[in-house]
Amino acid sequence: MYNRKLKTWTIPLIGLGLMIAALVSCTDSLDVTPPDEDVLTSAQVFDTPADFRQVLAKLYAGLSLTGQQGPAGDPDIQGIDEGFSNYIRQLWVSQQLPTDEAVVAWNDPGLPEFNTLEWSSSNDFVLGMYSRIFFQISLTNEFIRNAKDRPEEEIQAFNAEARFLRALSYWHALDLYGGNVPFVTEEDGVGAFLPEQTNPSDLFNFIESELLEIENSLPAPRQNQYGRADRGAAWMLLTKLYLNAEVYTGEQRYTDAITFASKIIDEGGYQLDEEYEYLFLADNHLSEGIIFPVPFDGLNTRTFGGTTFITHAAIGGDMNAADLGVDVGWAGHRVTKEFVNNFVNIELLAKSQTQSFAAANAAQDYPEIFVTGSFQEESNYGSNWTPEDAPALASVNSDDVYEGYVYFGSENTEFKFTDERSFDVNWGDNDADGTLDPDGANIVAAEPGYYLFDVNLNELTYTLTKTEWGVIGDATIGGWEPPDQDMEYDAEGKVWTIITELSTGEMKFRANDDWLINFGDSDGDGVLELDGGNIAISEAGQTLITLELGTPPYTFSTERTSVDSREMFFTEGQTLEIEDLRQFTQGYAVTKWKNLTRSGQQGKDPTFPDIDFPMFRLADAYLMYAEAVLRGGQGGDTGTALQLVNLVRERAFGDTSGNIEAGELTLDFILDERARELYWEAHRRTDLVRYGLFTSDDFVWAWKGGVQEGTGINDILNIYPIPSSEINSNPNLVQNPGY
Amino acid sequence: MEKFKTILITLFLALCIPVAGMTQNTVSGTVIDAETLDPLPGVNIVVKGQPTVGTATNLDGEYSFDVPSLQDTLIFSFIGFLRQEVPIQGRTTIDIELEPDVQTLEGVVVIGYGVQQKEDNTGSVNVINTRDFNQGNVTSAQELFQGKVAGVNVTSGDGAPGSRPEVRIRGGSSLSASNAPLYVIDGVPLSDDGIAGSRDPLNSINPNDIESISVLKDASATAIYGSRASGGVIIITTKKGRKGQPTRINYNFKASLNTNHKQVDVLSADQLRTIISEEFDESALERLGDQNTDWQDQIFDNSISQDHNISVTGSMDQIGLPYRLSVGFTGSNGILERSSLDRLTTSVALNPTFFDERLKVDINLKGVREDNFFSAESAIGEAIRFDPTQPVRPGDPGDRFDGFFAWTDSQGNPITIAPANPVARIQQTSDNAVVFRGIGNVQLDLEVPRVEGLHANLNLGFDYSDVGTGDFRVPGSAAFADDGSNAVGVRRDFDQTRENEVLEFYMKYDKELPRANSRFDITAGYSWERNYETSETFETNFNIDDVLQVEQDIDFITERFLVSAFGRINYSFMDKYLLTGTIRRDGTSRFSSENRWGLFPSVALAWKIHEEGFLANSNVLSELKLRLGWGETGQQNIGVGNFPFLARFTVSEPNARVQFGDEFVNTLRPEGFNSDLKWEETTTYNAGLDYGFLNNRLTGTIEGFIKETSDLLNVIPVPAGTNFTNRILTNIGTLDVQGIEFGVTGRIISKRETFWSMSFNTTWTRDRISKLTNVQSPDFVGVEVGGISGGVGNTIQVHSVDFPRNSFFVLEQVYDADGNPLEGVYVDQNGDGIINDSDRIRFQSPQADVLVGVSSRFEYKNWDASFSGRASVGNYVYNNTDSQFFINELVSPLGFIFNSTTDILDTRFRNAQFFSDTFVENASFFRMDNINVGYTFENLLNTESTVRLSATVENAFIITNYSGLDPEVFGGIDNNLFPRPRTFILGLNFNL
Repeated sequence: MYNRKLKTWTIPLIGLGLMIAALVSCTDSLDVTPPDEDVLTSAQVFDTPADFRQVLAKLYAGLSLTGQQGPAGDPDIQGIDEGFSNYIRQLWVSQQLPTDEAVVAWNDPGLPEFNTLEWSSSNDFVLGMYSRIFFQISLTNEFIRNAKDRPEEEIQAFNAEARFLRALSYWHALDLYGGNVPFVTEEDGVGAFLPEQTNPSDLFNFIESELLEIENSLPAPRQNQYGRADRGAAWMLLTKLYLNAEVYTGEQRYTDAITFASKIIDEGGYQLDEEYEYLFLADNHLSEGIIFPVPFDGLNTRTFGGTTFITHAAIGGDMNAADLGVDVGWAGHRVTKEFVNNFVNIELLAKSQTQSFAAANAAQDYPEIFVTGSFQEESNYGSNWTPEDAPALASVNSDDVYEGYVYFGSENTEFKFTDERSFDVNWGDNDADGTLDPDGANIVAAEPGYYLFDVNLNELTYTLTKTEWGVIGDATIGGWEPPDQDMEYDAEGKVWTIITELSTGEMKFRANDDWLINFGDSDGDGVLELDGGNIAISEAGQTLITLELGTPPYTFSTERTSVDSREMFFTEGQTLEIEDLRQFTQGYAVTKWKNLTRSGQQGKDPTFPDIDFPMFRLADAYLMYAEAVLRGGQGGDTGTALQLVNLVRERAFGDTSGNIEAGELTLDFILDERARELYWEAHRRTDLVRYGLFTSDDFVWAWKGGVQEGTGINDILNIYPIPSSEINSNPNLVQNPGY
Repeated sequence: MEKFKTILITLFLALCIPVAGMTQNTVSGTVIDAETLDPLPGVNIVVKGQPTVGTATNLDGEYSFDVPSLQDTLIFSFIGFLRQEVPIQGRTTIDIELEPDVQTLEGVVVIGYGVQQKEDNTGSVNVINTRDFNQGNVTSAQELFQGKVAGVNVTSGDGAPGSRPEVRIRGGSSLSASNAPLYVIDGVPLSDDGIAGSRDPLNSINPNDIESISVLKDASATAIYGSRASGGVIIITTKKGRKGQPTRINYNFKASLNTNHKQVDVLSADQLRTIISEEFDESALERLGDQNTDWQDQIFDNSISQDHNISVTGSMDQIGLPYRLSVGFTGSNGILERSSLDRLTTSVALNPTFFDERLKVDINLKGVREDNFFSAESAIGEAIRFDPTQPVRPGDPGDRFDGFFAWTDSQGNPITIAPANPVARIQQTSDNAVVFRGIGNVQLDLEVPRVEGLHANLNLGFDYSDVGTGDFRVPGSAAFADDGSNAVGVRRDFDQTRENEVLEFYMKYDKELPRANSRFDITAGYSWERNYETSETFETNFNIDDVLQVEQDIDFITERFLVSAFGRINYSFMDKYLLTGTIRRDGTSRFSSENRWGLFPSVALAWKIHEEGFLANSNVLSELKLRLGWGETGQQNIGVGNFPFLARFTVSEPNARVQFGDEFVNTLRPEGFNSDLKWEETTTYNAGLDYGFLNNRLTGTIEGFIKETSDLLNVIPVPAGTNFTNRILTNIGTLDVQGIEFGVTGRIISKRETFWSMSFNTTWTRDRISKLTNVQSPDFVGVEVGGISGGVGNTIQVHSVDFPRNSFFVLEQVYDADGNPLEGVYVDQNGDGIINDSDRIRFQSPQADVLVGVSSRFEYKNWDASFSGRASVGNYVYNNTDSQFFINELVSPLGFIFNSTTDILDTRFRNAQFFSDTFVENASFFRMDNINVGYTFENLLNTESTVRLSATVENAFIITNYSGLDPEVFGGIDNNLFPRPRTFILGLNFNL
């Protein structure tokens, strides 16, 4: 019985098995299309102009981002930390670290060798930049391959931009790696083939012809969307190509450099921004002087490279990251003494630094009483009627005679004195007669102002003297004759300050334009004495004078401030000399890049600045014009050159005080001016190579060649080596000479 | 209950006892287990030559039936025991003791697509049964056979509850692709992808439900699994009910105390103060606090875990339905604060038969819910680095940072790149996951009528999992100052579902050819598998009322298929000469249509030497079998997604957009692809000798193997400009692995009340990379791997031609006369006067040269005791815990202070010396994995019921010269290991 039942079941059972097997055995099921809507095939991608535009966006992202996930997580480049792999970051490292403009404290593999110019072909950063450049070239080729035969005008416009971006990257390959690089265009495919090696001349010609071909297909200057390349960008790249042509090919092209620099200056419609600082702020997209920006955004364009890297890496030591609009410093980059020297007389600067330090360390432990009252909150002394926060008066001779300075911000201030930071023992003045009464009534000061307090607890008396402070002396503009140079009270810092022009000589501090209360510094230690000796000023120039009274001892400092607004050093706690590259506090720090808007607001995110990187900008074009003229190019004139250089300097100095005469306009001056104007913008290495100073003994800087005082190095280092892994994977390539 | 059982048994007996003959020759008796002396119910008894005349023992092991003649011979057989033939010789009462078949409990081995008599097996297969499983607090299947099988290295997971032990069979065979074995559970191949939110995908299987584990090591055994078999195959069979089995209820309880028995040696507060005052200026001293905090003490604590399992096994024979049901609960708490695993498992196994047992049905369903709390494991490293002079929580809840100490700058803002307060890290981070997983299958095996020996088998299986995880960090906390989202906190949700389905259909034909003195069986089948996965990550502000600073939504979907045909033939001649041939053809969607099909053959021969005449009468030698095998397998788990061959584009996420004017545009990136990609192919040669002495009191195997993997997948640099990536996975290179395995098990004493067995196994392996790139250039150092802490992007290992995989790639340290390392002084290997990368040498590797496993079991009356231990010899470890500390970096330029391990006092290294070989240490060790003692109370409620009490120490001790916390480091880079606890376990087992 069982068996019969079974027989009736057998056929369907086996049949079912075979049927299911047949159904699913269809090997078509092995042809799977990615089910993820974020993953598309080529056919889906290169369809409408809108699709092309998204791929075009990736070509620009090749400069600003490191992958498909911000700030990191799905990288473009393998085998290197994703943050490091950023184009701008790599470019910055390649162009800045081996020069006098920057050193780095970090010891990530391969990085210290950039400080000392000792890289080899297996260096991680040599590979990183190279990989990024050729990733970008592969992307642009793919775009051009798919776009070039499309009839749509819009796609052709995109195509011109893609060709510009490819030319830009090939220029970097030419400039950094010497042009002996694999040459791949849209004519080549994707996959297993070995590209041929090109040479500097051919590559130069290719970049030039590409740029000339697309010049008129690109929108007129400033007519494309922000962040995208226009004709101005192409002109700028051509100018740079021609200016350095002699380095690349041995042939001078200065006349062509002038031609295209002139186009930028005359036809571009760009303006020098009012303030130099504006170019490096969170809202620098408002700048009129940026020709080709690489935009970053705290919310939408996040990376650990780009201006995130440039801004954070500059912050360390005693710097307050919040002052630069970010949450933290990475304690990496500083400048060498040789670079600082472009701005100031270093010996004098160092001395004024020492002076201010002496004063800063002058705190003493004197017996104290406290002034507490209704003024505290408004005048920055904590909460009202809180002795814990109250300003102190000190008895310098420990004789129960106290003095000190306290600021009252408004009228009818009420206050009392306390013995400790509590109300347990306190004095008021019951009948406002100038004698103190234990637990007496509040004392009232009618006028706001900066008061000298004298309190005698032996006799229970007190006096208040209102003071306004200034400086006088032959070192000051007004000499020893009144009126004094008035200082301003800075309620936040609780100090009096003035920025004024000092000459060498002497000066003193006076209250109320009168010798009744005056301070000097007899022993030059930064601590002030009443009626003390004159203060010697040894360095002339724009100076920030700070007077700190408050609780004795009273101190002051003078700090030479530059008149060149491009000099943005942070020096507190930093030494000028760099004995140990790994210490952030050695070498001056730089505050040029700030994640703050012109009005001082922080960018959208404290970690990822909104600052756009100005790849090309107008002042560079001015200086290139001038240089090309000085180098003998035709079609320009020295008069215009001088005028352009002085425009740059007028912006820097705020007036014509920094202007130069025709005789001062030399190639050496241009190089220094380029350093002052364009430092930390990834130009320096190219400039030094063009001037023949990158490797030479004629110009050395700290740690050039691996020694602190700097030394000349082998000329082979003028270009980077082809990475060894690339030599291994492509037998068509011959290494750059010497590596 | 008892009554019910009696009815069942009666029914069972009624069904089984055939109609008796007319002659009344009744034989009766009792059958007991020769070792335990327990009565054996269900023993089959038949009259020799008359297979239809027979009976089975009842619950008390008693039998009674009529035989045709008192001169016949009875055959007693029972699964797991040696068959006995007993001539009646006129007796009417015959009591029998059956000897357990110790070599394999059941005499059969589970192999791919079927089972086989152990003696007919030609491949290298080890079976571990319940009886041999490791005792202790086992949460995952891999731990059950740790140290038990020669050639199989199970590296314990770290100390996290339910962490994943890594299994390497014969050293694996790959560089970039997976080296893990394929797991097949009751016929369902598990997806080789990890499950997010679960520390170990195999946690889905409750070890208490496992009946046996087959480890398939050589190609003869694994080639039937084709393109996934290069890492070996592990087949797990779960417990099932058996026909006629009485109802048994088993309750198993374990309580464990996990203790943190060892800490990383770090500087005490005073030692740190001393070194800071010696080496740094005043300003650094001022930053030191006045406390004396042992941060490791703060984050680690002893913990208690519990484990309950209850199972019911039996058979509803009236409807022909053997069953097993089980429910298990594991509440495992880690020694790191807030780390735990709660796991609820259920399993159902039903094995009905129909049509007079001609249709057998196997239904298995397993479900698990895992609640994982991961704690914040980065606190482990931070507890080592964090300044011990600082207080844990100087403020009150409600203060800034919730009162916890945090490094701040001069303005009081957190220094986001300083280490986070480890206690705050744990308290202010929440990271947990809930994992649901169901695995099940229905297998139908049909004995095709009218064709004797022909079976059709259909297996439909699924493996679904669903994961939800959440991770949040408190805003403004001290805990995660390092991720830049400090102000608003982060909330991150992750969901993942996986759907894997499998369909297999095969036919098997058994045939005996008595005239040719031969028998053979042929299996041929077809298999189809689909793996589908979706996941979504959503990240936002902790408090979404704040200005939205973080929002990221990442979706991911992927799918792949595997279609295969397979076949096997087993041929036996004269029961002495065996031949096995297998073949599998696999097609996968992971490769392009040109490369997706692969053929994986194997052939093996075996010679049962002991069956030969010259050995047949040997009293000493009871078994001797020579096995020779050859085969090819593949590895398609290449770790680069499911579409590495396809030209495709990926859309960027919202945080990675590009500004065009006022608009932010999502970008489309072409992905690098390699249309020529295919699987790795491993050719294995295997020679083995199985031996047994003294009636198999002493048994074992000695085996040698050679594996060559060609088309080795390796990530190599792409010639610049030719693809959309700078590195791509390519089939290039060759790897050779060789080894010798030896295993022996001895039943030293096997008496009525005393039993003692010992097992020992050892393995020697070595591996060499013999080819790595297209262009063989002497300058090519190899592929640098093994990222370490310290700096960004430093690696310490390298794959190089002529060296083992993952060789350490270091500079050779020079020491002074006292044996102290000289900082920055290394051997200038190439003599160019500069110490740089080209002076790095390949020095040792993490792979052990020799592995040893040893275990023993001792029983006396109701007492039992066992231990199991392992040794690893010649494995090296890079001590990254020590190597990341240098005197000059104890004080950061940003003003915070690091603590260090005490190693700094020995090396006195001032600056980073990451590549010094002084940090590469010989980490050979012997570890006593567990020691176990038990006592069984019998006859409590009735004769069947027992209670066993046991006590176990897990991770009892370790012998090593390694200076770090624990020498057992998978991958060879020791950094912030979650310490493995020493665990004391009390167990209670009720068997009703």
